[in-house]
Amino acid sequence: MDANPKFLNPRGDMQPSTTTTSSSDSAAEGGGEAKWAAKLLRECAAAMSQKDSGKMHHLLWMLNELASPYGDPDQKIAAYFLQALFCKATDSGRRCYKTLASVAERSHSFDSSRKLILKFQEVSPWTTFGHVASNGATLEAFEGEPNLHIIDVSTTLCTQWPTLLEALATRTDDTPRLRLTVVAATAAVKSAMKEITPRIEKFARLMGVPFELSVVADLSKDSLTVREGEAVAVNCVGALSPNLIETMKWVNPKVVTVVEEEADFSSNRDDFVECFEECLRFHTVYFDMLEESFAATSNEKLMLERECLRSIVRVLACDGDDKVEEHERERGRQWSERLREAGFSAVAHSEDVVDDVRALLKRYRAGWSLVAAAEDDQTGIFLAWKEEPVVWASVWKPSK
Amino acid sequence: MQPQEEQLNHSGNPFSQWVEHVTKQLIDDDAAALLSPIATDQNDAAMGMLTALFECAVAISLDNLGEAHRMLLELSQTASPYGPSPAERVVAHFAKAMSSRVVNSWIGVCTPIPVDFRGVHAAFHVYNTTSPFVKFAHFTSNQAILEACSGHRRLHIIDVDIMQGLQWPALFHILATRAEGPPHVRMTGMGASGELLLETEKQLSSFARRLGMQFEFHAVEGRFGDVADVSALHVRRGEAVAVHWLQHSLYDATGPDWKTMRLLQGVGPRVVTLVEQEMSHGGSFLDRFVASLHYYATMFDSVGESGEGERHGVEQGVLQREINNVVAVGGPTRSGEEKWMRWRREMAGKGFVQMGMSGNAMAQAQLILNMFPRGYSLVQGDHGTLSLGWKDTSLYTASAWTWPNHHHHF
Repeated sequence: MDANPKFLNPRGDMQPSTTTTSSSDSAAEGGGEAKWAAKLLRECAAAMSQKDSGKMHHLLWMLNELASPYGDPDQKIAAYFLQALFCKATDSGRRCYKTLASVAERSHSFDSSRKLILKFQEVSPWTTFGHVASNGATLEAFEGEPNLHIIDVSTTLCTQWPTLLEALATRTDDTPRLRLTVVAATAAVKSAMKEITPRIEKFARLMGVPFELSVVADLSKDSLTVREGEAVAVNCVGALSPNLIETMKWVNPKVVTVVEEEADFSSNRDDFVECFEECLRFHTVYFDMLEESFAATSNEKLMLERECLRSIVRVLACDGDDKVEEHERERGRQWSERLREAGFSAVAHSEDVVDDVRALLKRYRAGWSLVAAAEDDQTGIFLAWKEEPVVWASVWKPSK
Repeated sequence: MQPQEEQLNHSGNPFSQWVEHVTKQLIDDDAAALLSPIATDQNDAAMGMLTALFECAVAISLDNLGEAHRMLLELSQTASPYGPSPAERVVAHFAKAMSSRVVNSWIGVCTPIPVDFRGVHAAFHVYNTTSPFVKFAHFTSNQAILEACSGHRRLHIIDVDIMQGLQWPALFHILATRAEGPPHVRMTGMGASGELLLETEKQLSSFARRLGMQFEFHAVEGRFGDVADVSALHVRRGEAVAVHWLQHSLYDATGPDWKTMRLLQGVGPRVVTLVEQEMSHGGSFLDRFVASLHYYATMFDSVGESGEGERHGVEQGVLQREINNVVAVGGPTRSGEEKWMRWRREMAGKGFVQMGMSGNAMAQAQLILNMFPRGYSLVQGDHGTLSLGWKDTSLYTASAWTWPNHHHHF
């Protein structure tokens, strides 16, 4: 007997669907009609939300016929979102998430992860944007300080630090000492750090920068220490959370650099359609960017696309109560509000840093731009793909 | 509504054991054929994936969808369709098809959605340039038609699934320069899309005109087997009728087999040129799965010789489509209608007489192979069939047949 009863064929309690909606039909007849995937997916999400199972089944059927994870971007988006909707329809979201998480852990070796990150950085500024913006802000905040301590809360596997070490080495003043504390929240990062530590220590030696590296499990007082006379920076990339914001206060940082993808997958959890819309919006831009940045048959691109499935399943098919372990994602405006409330105030990126970021973007294919925060209550800078803001970088310090 | 073939009469464990026994040999054979003799990490990984794929197939055949879904999620995250290993690529495409099937099985029956025929034809065109199979079918069949219809002044060719009519310009060229002078040619082209048939008509008519050959085209929209009456095919007195059928699994071109056969008998052709895939479409899901995995693993291996971009185009545009259909609920026709194992066997039993493929046809086939990388094999079979394969596995078989009383129908 199958463990999950919902998976048994529901044909018994349901009539074969013959409902047709003209808009869906016309979308299907295309296949050549652009953006058919978004249209069908939205209709399916709406049908699910309205508990219209006949319509939902019909749309899932169509998506199933047209989708392919190896086709064009429309087909890919259809394929991944279909999987998530299917998980939701069969109440198997949590189980699927767990399966995906365990596969990821098993199949990502240090070599493959590192190779993937580096290749991504080569073809797209998605991650390097944040590195340049944050390193620039950190260096400026550390001006004149002889003892530096950077607490790194991220999944960058230290790919951010070589350029910073280089910059420290080439400063005209005496080269300061750098202490790096990497917060490794998962077993995978912890294990990767075993390989990374000797490499970055060697690099620092080559640069002539006095360097110390330690790996800790979290930001608590039990895990790490702040020494007298140290200037502390907290570098947070794709790891921000209300808990972290509170916890980091005790280290009394001189500067906090924050980089987050511009997507809100938390505030709309109660409204499935809204939640779906945002998830679809973000991933459509992301997949489009990947398609234009990598070669058609790139395995790296495929891996990045596949990684999205876990997050899409979590957002769409796992209930909020499930407490599935993953980083809650919000937009820059929302994070800014939290940081302000917690007693931090924003610092603008200097002109020099902005220039450095612009210079970085020029090294990549067309389509990328830098967008400054628009209104008064917004802060930071955005990396934009075809005018759509995708990554947010900002700088903070404790308000006195 | 569950197609008959999908239901199982087996009880749990003994069946699983039997399946494992039968498929183990196939895994080993496939793996041995597809993996390099030197064991590498990549080969171990591919072996593991093939095994996992078999386990998924067993789960699906036992209607254990939850388990199948879980295993397919894993496979879909690990098997890459872009790598150098054909074993891994075939797993990636099968995993995708089986995931679709799991979703379809859960949903149940729905109204079918229209096939993107233009897209299929475009993919088929690329297939024609990267693999010799299509040209093999065209040129050996053309040769058989030429020989069977020599001496006739009026020819009527019925192409059961004409697509873009890629086959015919070469035949027209030969007919137009025939020693006895060009014949009058009528062509009845069948296909699912009236619009696309019109385009094909324009192309072929224009080509025939340039050759100075008398030519008439009739477009008949629909499936050959669904044609109610022979008269719809415009067969006339005094014509030598040739029926051509290149079988594939991209979509259901002809409909129920028994109807197709009945119409063929009704037409009473001078020659039927048949090209079949060496893969039986009949039987249970597991039967289809085992047969098609072996078939497509070989296909993927053969396509591997082309450039990466083209290879992916063929694998995604043609092979993935076929695999989707073969693995789908109800098999390639998606309807559960019975599909015969081998048309060749049926033809012989239903009154058709086999005509051997001549030495000229063999020579044509060899010429084509010379245009492609090494590795393809040509085999002359019993009673005059001609098979094209990759290494030791036959993939397509051409045969020619005649209806012995064809001149009595008028």
